[in-house]
Amino acid sequence: MKSIRIKSGFNIKVSGQPAPEVQSLQKPTRLALLPERIPFVKPRLKVKAGDTVQVGSPLIEDKRNSEIQFLSPGGGKVVDVIFGPRRVIREIVIQLDDEEKQVEFESLPEIDIKKIDRDQLIRLIVNGGLWPLIRELPFRDYPSPDTVPPAIYVSLGNLEPFQPLPEVYLAGSTELFEYGLKVLGKLSADRVQVCASRTNTAIQRQLNGIITLTYSGNYPVHDPGVLVYHMKTSTEENRSWYVDGQNVLLLAHLLKNGTYPTRRTVALAGSCARVKKHFHTRLGAPLAHITDDRIDDSDIRYIEGGLLTGYAGSAHTYLGLFETALSLIPEGHEKGELLGLFRPGYRKPSYSRVFLSALNRENLEMTCSVHGGDRACIACGYCAQVCPVDILPQFTYKAVLAGEVEESLEHGLLDCVECGLCSYVCPSKIELFETLKNAKADFYKEKMA
Amino acid sequence: MNIIEKFFESGRKHFVEGGRFAKLYPLYESIESVFFAPARATRTAPNVRDNLDVKRFMMLVIVALLPHYAFGIYNVGYQSHLASGLSTGFFPAIFTGLKVVLLLVVVTYTVGFFWELLFAVVRKHEISEGLFVSCALFPLTLPPTIPLWQAALGISFGIVIGKEIFGGTGRNFLNPALTGRAFLYFAYPAQLSGDAVWTHLCGGRTAAVDAFTGATPLSVATVTERLADIQGVLTDAGYSAAKLMLGDYPGSIGGTSTLLALVGAAFLLILGIASYRIIFGCILGLLATAFFLNLVATDNSMPYLSLNPFYHLMMGGAMFGFAYMATDPVSAAHMPVAKWIFGFSIGVLTVLIRVFNPAYPEGVGLAIIFMNLFAPLLDQIELKFRLKKRVPNV
Ligand code: SF4
Ligand code: SF4
Repeated sequence: MKSIRIKSGFNIKVSGQPAPEVQSLQKPTRLALLPERIPFVKPRLKVKAGDTVQVGSPLIEDKRNSEIQFLSPGGGKVVDVIFGPRRVIREIVIQLDDEEKQVEFESLPEIDIKKIDRDQLIRLIVNGGLWPLIRELPFRDYPSPDTVPPAIYVSLGNLEPFQPLPEVYLAGSTELFEYGLKVLGKLSADRVQVCASRTNTAIQRQLNGIITLTYSGNYPVHDPGVLVYHMKTSTEENRSWYVDGQNVLLLAHLLKNGTYPTRRTVALAGSCARVKKHFHTRLGAPLAHITDDRIDDSDIRYIEGGLLTGYAGSAHTYLGLFETALSLIPEGHEKGELLGLFRPGYRKPSYSRVFLSALNRENLEMTCSVHGGDRACIACGYCAQVCPVDILPQFTYKAVLAGEVEESLEHGLLDCVECGLCSYVCPSKIELFETLKNAKADFYKEKMA
Repeated sequence: MNIIEKFFESGRKHFVEGGRFAKLYPLYESIESVFFAPARATRTAPNVRDNLDVKRFMMLVIVALLPHYAFGIYNVGYQSHLASGLSTGFFPAIFTGLKVVLLLVVVTYTVGFFWELLFAVVRKHEISEGLFVSCALFPLTLPPTIPLWQAALGISFGIVIGKEIFGGTGRNFLNPALTGRAFLYFAYPAQLSGDAVWTHLCGGRTAAVDAFTGATPLSVATVTERLADIQGVLTDAGYSAAKLMLGDYPGSIGGTSTLLALVGAAFLLILGIASYRIIFGCILGLLATAFFLNLVATDNSMPYLSLNPFYHLMMGGAMFGFAYMATDPVSAAHMPVAKWIFGFSIGVLTVLIRVFNPAYPEGVGLAIIFMNLFAPLLDQIELKFRLKKRVPNV
């Protein structure tokens, strides 16, 4: 088994980890699809308010490729289509009925995976609306169905706070997972890498012999982009595909049962969550359904995804298609404590060593406060120290701002795994991550156009 | 809400949009944020941010400088009383020192802050804390006899020409405090060189008492004619190794104590604020060059050549410059290897200027400014190498 170790990166010592327990939630009354939160897709509506839909009916298609459709996570009535500024489609809300009819898809018995034609297999996934669960490096859009990847990475576990534990969402589903791996093997001529943390013994016991690559080190070593960066032997590999471990289960469910999968295992965590653990719920579940009365405070941020790369939702929104974590932490709108500048800071987590917290091994509470004003770069070099793929974010940032596309590419812009650490550590509070991420996306869109 | 918070809240409305002093918002922000970190939540990912900000970073540099102020105040008073034939007791000395140093500090900060505020208001950005560090460093490099108007002029030059015309902190490539200091040296050599300027006289005296020479170790080392025994010359002049380490001799206000500079350097290194590459590079460069000069020195050559390398480190403001000036992250080299070269070259130049340019006895300031100019080039070269090693992702 191969093993990758990185010295860069950084683990934030933040409190609020989810416990490995899991609880199944009741069926919610509404579900939604959030087209706005699907990267790169240009959605065209296929339904309108009042339409009746089944589990698996198409709700939108991608204008860039109308074959790619996103299906309804529930059966019932479309009650609302909510638009945001510039008419982006925010939410397509479905009121569930009792029976929830399901669209029937073609199923694929396990023994046929080897025999089925690759193109036909792709058709099945595309028709089942799950092709976009497969992502392609370095831009992280879904791959074009008619390319063959150099490899497919399956990532089990995510070191970003606070993501679900793979041993929890895989519990009892090992067979289904193996089925999914076979499918991915077919797609990639058996070049599948199943990656898990070297220190996670639970998952290694559970998936004995299935894991092919282990990693150790700081966040974001789990990210396929980081693994590829540190292992690649050819530039071709930069186009590798990857699938999140939990999404492998969705794919497998679709093909094995011929129905659109609906289960999502979500980690509820963060210092404002009174109960911090895993929940089985539905794809597109309302956030309020997951939090229910498990909330402590009022001025809380609902973060969908991780603390670093996730986005802010609210008690009135729903779970995005790719999201498997909901973290609740204080907004941090208040001013800092009196003369906090001069205090030793035993409870203020920091990458640097300028707080006494450098000696504190506990996980500490964090808020969404920026902790400072915007300043010019003081060349502290922290951003370059944490970057897991050896980018010098401060220089790349300058190249991007100056409009020097070629130069920023030379700096490795496309290797950026969008981990957010550079912005996190910056004492000048420069939005390095945002800038680089947008520059990367713009470059991609231009290339595609 | 406590009283202080109320005070800021009631003042706030005058400084925000539409208030009477809206233009002076940077002033308000700068003072308020000393008391309270700004109430600001993230608007984009990452949702959480590190607790460290530039204010904390710079504040700690100033903390590292405080012992130099304490010592400088005492030493200025002590030397002054010694030279003026007055009591050299602790409190009288402190009192005299305070008068001299505090005035300088107040003038420096007032003038420096004025410029920074002016540029912040015009450019509509917040006041950068780099200013406070520059203003803390500048007086420490001056002789205690400097006229206040020259100090004001010096810091103005340092802030405006050394920093603001390039776009402010972060875009400057010279160390502002040193730029101001160098400007004064070249503009007013009479007030910044010679043995007399390093001791403040008081009690109406215009000349030191006879027993007091006022010569700094650097000038002793430069002018001696006694061959092949330079340490002996220094010892005879009262400069034992211990005295050089401690720094209780005439010199710039804060730069004489090598011991304190070493402690400060250790403090900044432990906190990870100063770059160890730069500090060790400087020390290595200085020792290596001095050692090399020892090797080429003969019995008849200039005595300075045979000075023990460690004396070079202990004399004058070398270590002070290495610890606080060379490590200014903005004007130093940014890349790892470039930092080593940058530091090493500063060490080399410091010794060469001291030994071979008697007109400029203390070489460290000039050495740092000179290398500030070359830092971008060093960075560019290393960057080129580094980018060449990258496997392109296309
Ligand atoms: S540039 Fe920033 S966001 Fe990109 S990989 Fe490096 S640290 Fe992460
Ligand atoms: S972390 Fe921020 S201040 Fe430090 S070098 Fe990077 S961009 Fe500059």
